[in-house]
Amino acid sequence: MKMHCEEVQRSLEAWLDRELNQSEAERVGSHLLECPLCSEDRRQLEHLQDALRNSLEVRASGLAFEPFWSEVRRRILEQKPWHVQFLDWVRFTLYPARLTWAIPVVIVFLLLILSLEQLVPGWGLGPGTSNLAAVESIDGHGLNVAVFRESKTKTTVIWIFQNQEGEDEAADESAPGDNTF
Amino acid sequence: MELSDWELVQKCQAGEIAAFQELVVRYYHKVFLVVLGVLNHQEDALEVAQETFLRAYKKIKGFRGGSAFYTWLYRIAVNLSIDFQRRQKRSPMEFRETLDDVIDEREESGRDPFCSLQSKEIGKKLVAAIDDLTPDHRAVIVMRAVEGLSYKDISRILGCSEGTVMSRLHYARKKLQEKLGPFL
Amino acid sequence: MKLLTSLLRATIPFSLSLALLIPMLDAAEKGPQTVQVSIGTILASNESDNFDPRLSKMKSQLEVIKYRSYRLLREQVQKAPWQSSAAFEIPGGRSLTVIPEGYRNNRLSLKVRLLQGEKPLLDTTVQLRNRGNFLLGGPAHEGGVLILSISATTQ
Repeated sequence: MKMHCEEVQRSLEAWLDRELNQSEAERVGSHLLECPLCSEDRRQLEHLQDALRNSLEVRASGLAFEPFWSEVRRRILEQKPWHVQFLDWVRFTLYPARLTWAIPVVIVFLLLILSLEQLVPGWGLGPGTSNLAAVESIDGHGLNVAVFRESKTKTTVIWIFQNQEGEDEAADESAPGDNTF
Repeated sequence: MELSDWELVQKCQAGEIAAFQELVVRYYHKVFLVVLGVLNHQEDALEVAQETFLRAYKKIKGFRGGSAFYTWLYRIAVNLSIDFQRRQKRSPMEFRETLDDVIDEREESGRDPFCSLQSKEIGKKLVAAIDDLTPDHRAVIVMRAVEGLSYKDISRILGCSEGTVMSRLHYARKKLQEKLGPFL
Repeated sequence: MKLLTSLLRATIPFSLSLALLIPMLDAAEKGPQTVQVSIGTILASNESDNFDPRLSKMKSQLEVIKYRSYRLLREQVQKAPWQSSAAFEIPGGRSLTVIPEGYRNNRLSLKVRLLQGEKPLLDTTVQLRNRGNFLLGGPAHEGGVLILSISATTQ
């Protein structure tokens, strides 16, 4: 059964898009061979499709893969979760050739630690952090002198027993003797 | 032996970025064409096409292979393009910036810019005519005319029925034919 | 070539760090320039049970010396360059001379001389932690004894 133009017009786009089943497609095809009007419609639709494809192809023809991909890759790496980015950074940083930075950093760090002892008195790992004073030498010029160091309160006391010479106005009373310490 | 899309997807899901690169090799040009068709703007299309692959990479672990990879990818591309277009709300005139430049460049390099177009004029008319379509109509006609996708694939990509695809295609063709009438 | 570049790159922060560090180390090497010597003169006695609240920070130290009453008579502060003396007047016609001699291992070496008029009562050299103190006591005064708290801080 032959198709009429109206029927073909309704199916023409589907025929062009290869969406008809085989028998329908054959019937439309036969009609198009015989009908110049429908054939012209077909030509126009095909021309439109070609023009559209070609215009986009021309505009897209300058698109190179390398810059396209490098931008996508950059964004992918940017978007990674923090722990993945951290691991990437660790892998990148601990690459042996890059480890050279660690040597000066360690040296500078050690120098700083050692110099802090000098720069900030009272800070540090060195000796001498106790408050207990050490008496290097002592001379009482004839007077009895006692040195007492008490570690609990970190106290060092140098005591002069001055009363024995009786020269002070309150000598008899001030003698600490067993009163002190 | 060349791996299938699905095999490459599985490698991507295992963390192989090289496999994803291979998928980009296969589809970057097609995706760009579709996006360019919807946006009708070179620089915006590049931006959105790259964003499409970024989204695809981020979501690829959730891709189960229920549909072909390219339909899944095109769905991302078209959705992003339509969203982008709505956000930008450019005036139609702004879309026409690049075609003359592109044509001029091609002519300067000695190539015929449109193999099957009658003239440079028809290209300009076409760009202007596309501008007058909605993004949904542009998406349908580009995927059919440029990529040759079936109604079924297009309906999957756009999340609509095949009937809607057919009617949108018909409408878009009619509009373009009206605008380009004398040149076809 | 990559290794060489990395080495060159690494030397830049290293050099900068050294450039910053050398003046600091130089300053550290020279050490503190002056010493602030502080003397607190305290009268200890058994006449009452009063404890001067100004001495509360060193209460535990003073309790080592078993008097009942402690009163701060005066506080004196002087700055002394290294190897120079700082002289302090002590009640009862006495005087105290302190000479900062050196600084090593975070400890100051102080040479201390107590005089009664012209007569020396005590000569001693004490190594003291920076900002630390020690007590020198015994001279009788006003029914009690004088206790001197001697402390030094590098500047």
